[in-house]
Amino acid sequence: MTAPHRTGGVNVARPLVYLGVAAAIGLGSLLLPSTGAAPTPPAPAATAPTNAPGPACSEVKESLRPEGPLPPPGALPAGSTMAKIAARGRLIAGVDQGKYLVGYRNPITGQLEGSDIDIVRRIATAIFGDPNRVQFVVLDIADRQGSLDRGQVDLVVNSFSVTCDRQRTVEFSTAYMAATARVLVPVNSGVREVEDLAGKRVCTSAGSTTERMLRALPARLDVYTLPGIPDCMVDLQHGKAASVSSDDVLLAGLAAQDPQTHVVGRSLLLSDYAVGMRRDTPDLVRFVNGVLEEARADGSLAASDQRWLGRLNPVPRPAPARYRD
Amino acid sequence: MSTSVATRPPLRRAVGRVVGSGLLGAGTTPGRLLRVEAVLVLAALVLGVLGVLGGMSRVSAVHDARTRVAALTTGAADLYQSLADADAMATTGYVSGGLEPATSRARYDDDIERAGRLLTNAAGLLPAGDPAIAAVSTVGEQLPVYTGLVENARALNRLGLPLGQAYLASASKLMQTRILPAVEEVRTAESATLAVTYARAAALPFAVLAVGLAVFVALVDLALRERRRTNRVLNVGLTVAGLAVLACVAWWAVAAITADARIGGARAHTVAGAALDDARIAVLQARSNESLVLVARNSGGGSSDAAFSAHLDDVVNDSGLLTDAERADPQLADRVAALRGAATAWSAAHRDVRRLDDGGQYPQAVASVVGHGPDTSGGAFDALDTALDRTIGEERNAFAVDVEAAEGALVALPWISAALALLAAGAVVIGIGRRVGEYR
Repeated sequence: MTAPHRTGGVNVARPLVYLGVAAAIGLGSLLLPSTGAAPTPPAPAATAPTNAPGPACSEVKESLRPEGPLPPPGALPAGSTMAKIAARGRLIAGVDQGKYLVGYRNPITGQLEGSDIDIVRRIATAIFGDPNRVQFVVLDIADRQGSLDRGQVDLVVNSFSVTCDRQRTVEFSTAYMAATARVLVPVNSGVREVEDLAGKRVCTSAGSTTERMLRALPARLDVYTLPGIPDCMVDLQHGKAASVSSDDVLLAGLAAQDPQTHVVGRSLLLSDYAVGMRRDTPDLVRFVNGVLEEARADGSLAASDQRWLGRLNPVPRPAPARYRD
Repeated sequence: MSTSVATRPPLRRAVGRVVGSGLLGAGTTPGRLLRVEAVLVLAALVLGVLGVLGGMSRVSAVHDARTRVAALTTGAADLYQSLADADAMATTGYVSGGLEPATSRARYDDDIERAGRLLTNAAGLLPAGDPAIAAVSTVGEQLPVYTGLVENARALNRLGLPLGQAYLASASKLMQTRILPAVEEVRTAESATLAVTYARAAALPFAVLAVGLAVFVALVDLALRERRRTNRVLNVGLTVAGLAVLACVAWWAVAAITADARIGGARAHTVAGAALDDARIAVLQARSNESLVLVARNSGGGSSDAAFSAHLDDVVNDSGLLTDAERADPQLADRVAALRGAATAWSAAHRDVRRLDDGGQYPQAVASVVGHGPDTSGGAFDALDTALDRTIGEERNAFAVDVEAAEGALVALPWISAALALLAAGAVVIGIGRRVGEYR
């Protein structure tokens, strides 16, 4: 018998060794992890505004008395806040653009209109002799105080109701309008009073006085907030809210835009709207109070209210101005 | 027998003991030749199968990258751009005052139509089980809700009722917080898929090269030993088989190197294109902010003008998106310099707008923003947007050229592998068969 692996003979082992090595390399390469790093999406930054309620305070302060008759435009006291505004060339006012009849942007003209806007133009007229020398800054309800604190605006005319809490950082003028919180519901809802809404979703604007009042009601409503009252109206029309609660003048503006809704129930919270200013500009507060005195005296304030809110019967009137001097 | 065993190295002795002593080693020379033939034919067929499978995997990866994944990635970027633009049009159309200008209405309609088309395309390109399906569904479900809210806003606007603005804000919020993030999710998922696909197409073909070289070495070894054993010229069959295997290995090596270079280029264009897509989105957001700050739509005290600067800074600063694009594709240097110039020009025009507005010249500020002339902010934005659009188009074309070239380099691999492996196997059968025949 010949030796099977004689040198120079035919040997099956030789190709098998080569192939074995190749198989080992081939298999090894399959086990290598394939690279392909997936990019990670950036995490969205979220900011949540906080409304920390201070300790309760009870008494609302009265405003500051005007200093004699109003100076004419161009003769403002040197060094006063009004003179600085005049030098700047325009009044910067914080307003809303979504409150129909009170402070809203007319979609047809693109202009801001309403009873609040009339107040701003009246003040601009007193400083410049021109109602159009105004830069409007549209504010979220929750940002009215903040805009004053930051010095972003000279004054806020934005259905800003006078409260003791707000007076810690804001100096208010005398009241130019009275309002009372009620509820807006669909006409066919059968709701007559706020108690009928127990357990139902009721929407109001974040940072408003209405929110605190609603949460304190014994009727236990399911209260939630959105940045503005018109946002609540969108939810009501989509059936996501059973009711919108706010001041009657604002709800009247909503009902005027949707005949399938109406304002019902008793008066839940009385409030006075006033012009908000910084506490370090008392001269401006006295000046604005002078402007309001004049507007009450010449009937233009009542005429403006009648023009915008005439559908409210009677048109709400605030108590006569009182001063702490 | 014992003497020959003692002269062999230990490894071969061990292999010989296992495979040689029982089945393979025994028998006559023609018997052993037939067994060698079987091993080599099998090895050639294994090489063929590896070549066909490996080639098909690479070709399908590149084809997938070219036709599907890249289309999804750029489609998602275009979808984002269309939707963000639609939202900007809906918003500015309203705040410009008066009834919506016909041009912004037409551009909104175009944007929505284009978005619908891109969405249908994306849905058609997604295979079952793709991670982006949920996000594409979200966009498909929410887009009709969005357009419904916008149409409601328009109807109210025409009645002069400001509630339309609340509908518009609600639509814009839906777009910004749900729809656009979902589109971004699709883009991220498909970018990741594209990176994996590139890795699959450009992986080194270890298995094919190793097996091919081993078969080649085994064939050479056998041919040389046969020549020495029989004192004849080289066996023609084994020579042909060896050349066929060598050709297969060489083809693979050249194809893999060519494809790797092209895929590297395609990857660079993808990264640069993504950075430019992001830049276009940031520019669009800056544009929206410029309009919004003018109509004093100040929300929550955040200054929109700061957002303008932040968005534009993301694009142009030293570690910004344009730098990213240039780093990924150095050939963009000229384009990026031009884009930086356009961004700087817009920034200057925007500062003029702010100066006009802060100086109480509101109508002049609005005129500059909505204008299209060379000195207006609107014109400067148009120039930047157009330049970005052109550069993105060029990057996508360059990507297509590279990835097509990669596919071209790879596309013949399965067929070549199969043909050459079968040729090698056939040549081995003929070559060894002739030798075996001599023993009859």
